[in-house]
Amino acid sequence: MSTPIYHSSFSRRGFLQLTGGGFGALALNCLLADPSGSKTHHAPKAKRVIHIFCPGGMSQVDTFDYKPALEKRAGQPFDPTGKLQFFASKPGKCQPSYWKFRQHGESGRWMSDLFPRLATCVDEMAFLYSMKSETALHGPACFMMNTGQSLPGFPSMGSWISYGLGSETQDLPAFVVLPDPSGLPPGGIINWGAGFLPSVYQGTGFNTRKGQSPIEDLFVNEARHKEFSKKDRATLNFLNKLNAQHQKTRSGNKDLEARIQAYELAARLQSSAPEATSIESEKESTQNLYGLDHKDTQAFGRQCLLARRLAERGVRFIQIYCGAENTTAKKIRPNWDSHEDLVRDHGYWGKVLDTGASALLKDLKARGMLDETLVICTTEFGRQPGAQGGKGRDHNPGAFTSWMAGGGVKGGVGYGKTDELGFKAVEDVIQSHELHATVLHLLGIDHERLTWYHNGLEQRLSGFEGKGVIGEVLA
Amino acid sequence: MKSTRTVFLFIAILCLTESLLGEESHWAWLPLNPEIQKRIASQDLTSQDIDAYIEKRLESKGLQLSPRASQRVLIRRLSFTLRGLPPYLGDVEAFESYSDQEAAYSRWIDKFLKSSSYGERMAQHWLDLAHYADTHGFERDMRRDTAWRYRDYVIQSFNKDKPYNQFLEEQIAGDVLWPGRDEANIATGFLAAGPWDFVGQVENKSPVSKRKARALDLDDMITQVMSTTIATTANCARCHDHKLDPISQKDYYGLKAVFASLKREERIVNPAELTSNQQMIAHIQKKTSELLRELRMIENSGLSLADIVGGGDGWGSGKVGLGIDPRTGSSVSMKRGGLNPSKVNIFSTVNSPFIEGVFIPEGQGGKAKIPYNSTGDSLTGIPSTSKATWDAIRKGPVNSQHSPSLAGVDFTKGGNELLGLHANSGITFDLKAFRNELKTDALKLSAKVGYFGSKGSFFADVWIYVDGEKVFEVRGLKRDDGLKDVEIKFSRQARYMTLISTDGGNGYSHDQVCFTNATLKNSNKEKLNSEQIKERQLKIVSLQNRIHTVSRPLDRLRDPQKFYGTVSEKTSPEIRVLDRGDTEHEVGEPLKPATLPLLSMLDHRLGDHETPEAERRIRLARWITDPKNPLTARVIVNRLWQWHFGHGLVRTPSDFGKGGEQPSHPELLDALALQLIKNSWSLKSVQRLILNTKTFKQKSQYLDGALGQQRDAENRLLWRQNPRRLEAEAIRDYVLSMGGQLNDKAYGPGYEDFKYTQAYAPIYQYVVKDDRDHFRRSIYRYRVRTTPNRFLTTLDCPDLANITPKRLTSTTALQSLALFNNEFILLHSRYFSAYLKKKGREDVGEQVRLAFMLAYSRSPNAEELTESSDFIRSQGLLAFVRAILNSNEFYYID
Repeated sequence: MSTPIYHSSFSRRGFLQLTGGGFGALALNCLLADPSGSKTHHAPKAKRVIHIFCPGGMSQVDTFDYKPALEKRAGQPFDPTGKLQFFASKPGKCQPSYWKFRQHGESGRWMSDLFPRLATCVDEMAFLYSMKSETALHGPACFMMNTGQSLPGFPSMGSWISYGLGSETQDLPAFVVLPDPSGLPPGGIINWGAGFLPSVYQGTGFNTRKGQSPIEDLFVNEARHKEFSKKDRATLNFLNKLNAQHQKTRSGNKDLEARIQAYELAARLQSSAPEATSIESEKESTQNLYGLDHKDTQAFGRQCLLARRLAERGVRFIQIYCGAENTTAKKIRPNWDSHEDLVRDHGYWGKVLDTGASALLKDLKARGMLDETLVICTTEFGRQPGAQGGKGRDHNPGAFTSWMAGGGVKGGVGYGKTDELGFKAVEDVIQSHELHATVLHLLGIDHERLTWYHNGLEQRLSGFEGKGVIGEVLA
Repeated sequence: MKSTRTVFLFIAILCLTESLLGEESHWAWLPLNPEIQKRIASQDLTSQDIDAYIEKRLESKGLQLSPRASQRVLIRRLSFTLRGLPPYLGDVEAFESYSDQEAAYSRWIDKFLKSSSYGERMAQHWLDLAHYADTHGFERDMRRDTAWRYRDYVIQSFNKDKPYNQFLEEQIAGDVLWPGRDEANIATGFLAAGPWDFVGQVENKSPVSKRKARALDLDDMITQVMSTTIATTANCARCHDHKLDPISQKDYYGLKAVFASLKREERIVNPAELTSNQQMIAHIQKKTSELLRELRMIENSGLSLADIVGGGDGWGSGKVGLGIDPRTGSSVSMKRGGLNPSKVNIFSTVNSPFIEGVFIPEGQGGKAKIPYNSTGDSLTGIPSTSKATWDAIRKGPVNSQHSPSLAGVDFTKGGNELLGLHANSGITFDLKAFRNELKTDALKLSAKVGYFGSKGSFFADVWIYVDGEKVFEVRGLKRDDGLKDVEIKFSRQARYMTLISTDGGNGYSHDQVCFTNATLKNSNKEKLNSEQIKERQLKIVSLQNRIHTVSRPLDRLRDPQKFYGTVSEKTSPEIRVLDRGDTEHEVGEPLKPATLPLLSMLDHRLGDHETPEAERRIRLARWITDPKNPLTARVIVNRLWQWHFGHGLVRTPSDFGKGGEQPSHPELLDALALQLIKNSWSLKSVQRLILNTKTFKQKSQYLDGALGQQRDAENRLLWRQNPRRLEAEAIRDYVLSMGGQLNDKAYGPGYEDFKYTQAYAPIYQYVVKDDRDHFRRSIYRYRVRTTPNRFLTTLDCPDLANITPKRLTSTTALQSLALFNNEFILLHSRYFSAYLKKKGREDVGEQVRLAFMLAYSRSPNAEELTESSDFIRSQGLLAFVRAILNSNEFYYID
């Protein structure tokens, strides 16, 4: 098996991008990579990543970033000059957190009462308080958090990582996405697209609706096509004969061999994917831990529990969406985008995230997996400390909080600061670039050496402007 | 910064040799080879000359061309490379019967170049470069329903073998070079083909963030034009000087000054047609409105409220789709989706004698005093609402109305009318004006009202007030309730009638309340004797006839055609360098329009501050197509080579800068470029030359350990042809054609292989349908950016946000699953199987032979025949064709 990390970008480019069709075989190698054969730039701390994404824009001042000054200024105009104009409104009065903040754990990190369960995990978590985004628009900001660029068309973090490390398993895709069962996040499925990387590295979106096949086209639609499905095995055997005959006079072309192997892998997926996603086999106490016994928390709980099962089975990068796109108006916003009623919407989604994410951390820890599983939780931007209308908050690209836990992360620490009202990140300001560099570092990858040539540049996930790995959060 | 240093180090090593010699020496920017130019001026390049260039380099490595591939392999190769489709069965069978195989081969080239599917094939390559799609992309990803005209333009241009220089000039500046030519206008769809951020540029209220989105929008346009035409990565100089090529940030912003006022927008193909149409309509309307008024008065059909809301006089001069914004009272033709957040209980007057004004009601549980006229009188008794509405009050239906039908009647047809009053809105009519117009004191309202939103738990409330007193009320009106009668007689003193719809307290979504055929008419019935009745009838018929005659020309009038292109201002805004690309940090003086200073043989300056926008684009287009510009011709012949060999002579087809690759055969590249220019930029003529070479016709098959593989594993020297897997779209077209289902309907709006649901971010759900409209070639697919067709994406169809100069091919288990189990494959397996049954009758051997001919363009050998026949006998024909449609030989072109 070839080495999936490419130490010299140029030789890799020669090999992958420029050779006549030589790519297919290699791509398959990544999917089938032998775990022991994978070589990283340095010793990895984490083997895999679970990324929770909260689309819509989670408020930092109501959750993780405690701002006593905001309480003191409550009711005063946020912008007395009247000059500021946000995405949808002009700022109203200073609005302190709707939930009381308390200190938790040995580390004494602050967290609001929106997250009573996560509050018991603070000593595992490292908080990045000083994140900002280039943009206040949902789609572009989601792209930025996922790909490092606010424009569509770039490879997502999971794609870069599967390109760099390949898979730990021969039975499942390296990069699996678990969208909210009610819909896709802003920007749609290209949030986990491979961009300009070959499509083999794109995320495989699993269907997270209860009782449905996890992967599209995993099986023939039985109801309509029984006469096909009952011949599956015989057809595959005959297909192999046809392919073998064809290949005899074309042994130089390794793509043909790869295509034959891909059918073998597909057959393995047919048994591994349903097994991996059958959460009904979990103990009732585990199901309850993830909130599967409650109508509001069960959907995201399923996603989190699925993530743990996929992690156990060697999936390299798992992304979970906690919320969907702003589709048609509903009683509660379909994601964290709380323009008109933050208590209603953050109240709902807060409970959802609190239950699922805390269960995930505790379960991983109990199973001894947290040490080598990096869990990160992000949103695309924060919300304004000044009110929008009576009860909402507008978009705030100037400050938001992300957190990391597990695989190589120092628990109970905070990095960076926002100003006294939580309006702008002011100390150790970081963007997606630094977060991405840190994730790659924990996986044993030098973020400056994982590159791909596109549109005149040796592109990389962490971009060219960032400050690199955030050393302060490494254990 | 550490990271930047590393990049510099890497680059320094990379271009050490070149930088020592200076920028001037970079091969791509040097003039086309003067010696070759002299040679070609006197004698045309031939296919043999091309082979000689290839063989010369092969010999230097001790290699040679592979033997000629068989006719069957060649016809399949040729058909796919030129048409993206398999050869016709009859053609394959006839191919080997010719005695002179070379002559037959050349004839096939000519035939394929002439076929209309040639343009469809080439257009796919070009649209990849334009990152063309039929939606805007980004967060809301809205439809772009007229974009297809540009797609058709590209297909037609290739089919006509339009001179390539003209093709480029039209796409960059056609609308200003030849404004009277429809085709030249549509061509500028190229500039607009990429994604456009509606939320960032329109919906967003923050000016800082708007400027940022706009800068990226223009960058996308600049990148597309410069990378497609001259393979230059100008975009690398947006935030800092180009790291490899001599392009400064100032150069980038000089180029931006050419594009600076362009905006992506739907345009009228022929503006003159629009003006003459409008004049004619106005003229006819003027003539008919008086007649109509007279007629309706005699008939006592009453004044139509919907017509008045649609900007009319109540007698029929209003327009369906026109409406009134309940927030401002102003007239609205654009569709709206969510008038939110809005001010409530604010009364806005409307410019119509019949309408007092409009408002968005918020009743605060019945307590609120809601002003219903301009003098400030108020009404009460309305419940609390969600304080917003979805669309304007319209001569309906309203935007994205669930259905225009209720209780079995389609109210857009048969003279029916809708007054769309989406919750939460209110409108007050001035009864005095109606009395004046109808010349009566006795007025009555007659109408029906219904809930036109979807079934289910959705409902709304409807209210009618007269002078602030409630006279009509329906609570919880649902679709299932059908239409409710509304008949109200007004007292002589009544002045204001107010119609209100509210959301029923469950959000305003779906609350499409409409009044149907709502009229105010004279409630007194005239008593007529039989003579008078007869006279009245005659008068009516005569008026009807006159109206019909006057408005007849309108029947022939078509809506002016539209396309998605760009609009621009006459003058361009000032452009300065943006420090690090930051829109909030302009530095230095305003820049004059210019192109990139890479080419010493051409002046890169394109004017001064006063140069009009149109002139800037024209000059850029002419700089690109100047025969002295060595890049343009080199870039396109390299693309042609890539389209036929899988790789170009330069394998970075959109980067001819220092970061790109050197050409494997620089002299051949120049020879092809020069011949292209000499042949008046005819692409077909150069393709004919390339396809007639021994190099193209050689075998692709090779065994492990072949000499060529040892010495030139990447096949840069072309010791063999490259075997190629079909692209996603070609796979789809191929599968369709196997069962004879490919629908060859060309041009026009694309087929939509999805269910479309209007929403804030529209929802596209893909479906596989057994429907001939869905069986058109993939080039006619309605391309959705943010929700791509998963089946095609799995097969490596690229992300439509990206410019794709070269398709990548991967091999994955998900592809196997899609090809083995997807509904589309199974559906067409059935068609394929039915076709074999019909044509091969009950003869299994003939079925196998036919299947091989169709799928592989060859007959089965004896062993294959036996095994396949056995398989069909034991497992059936369906299983057999499913295997064929999954086989390597099907997807790979030798």
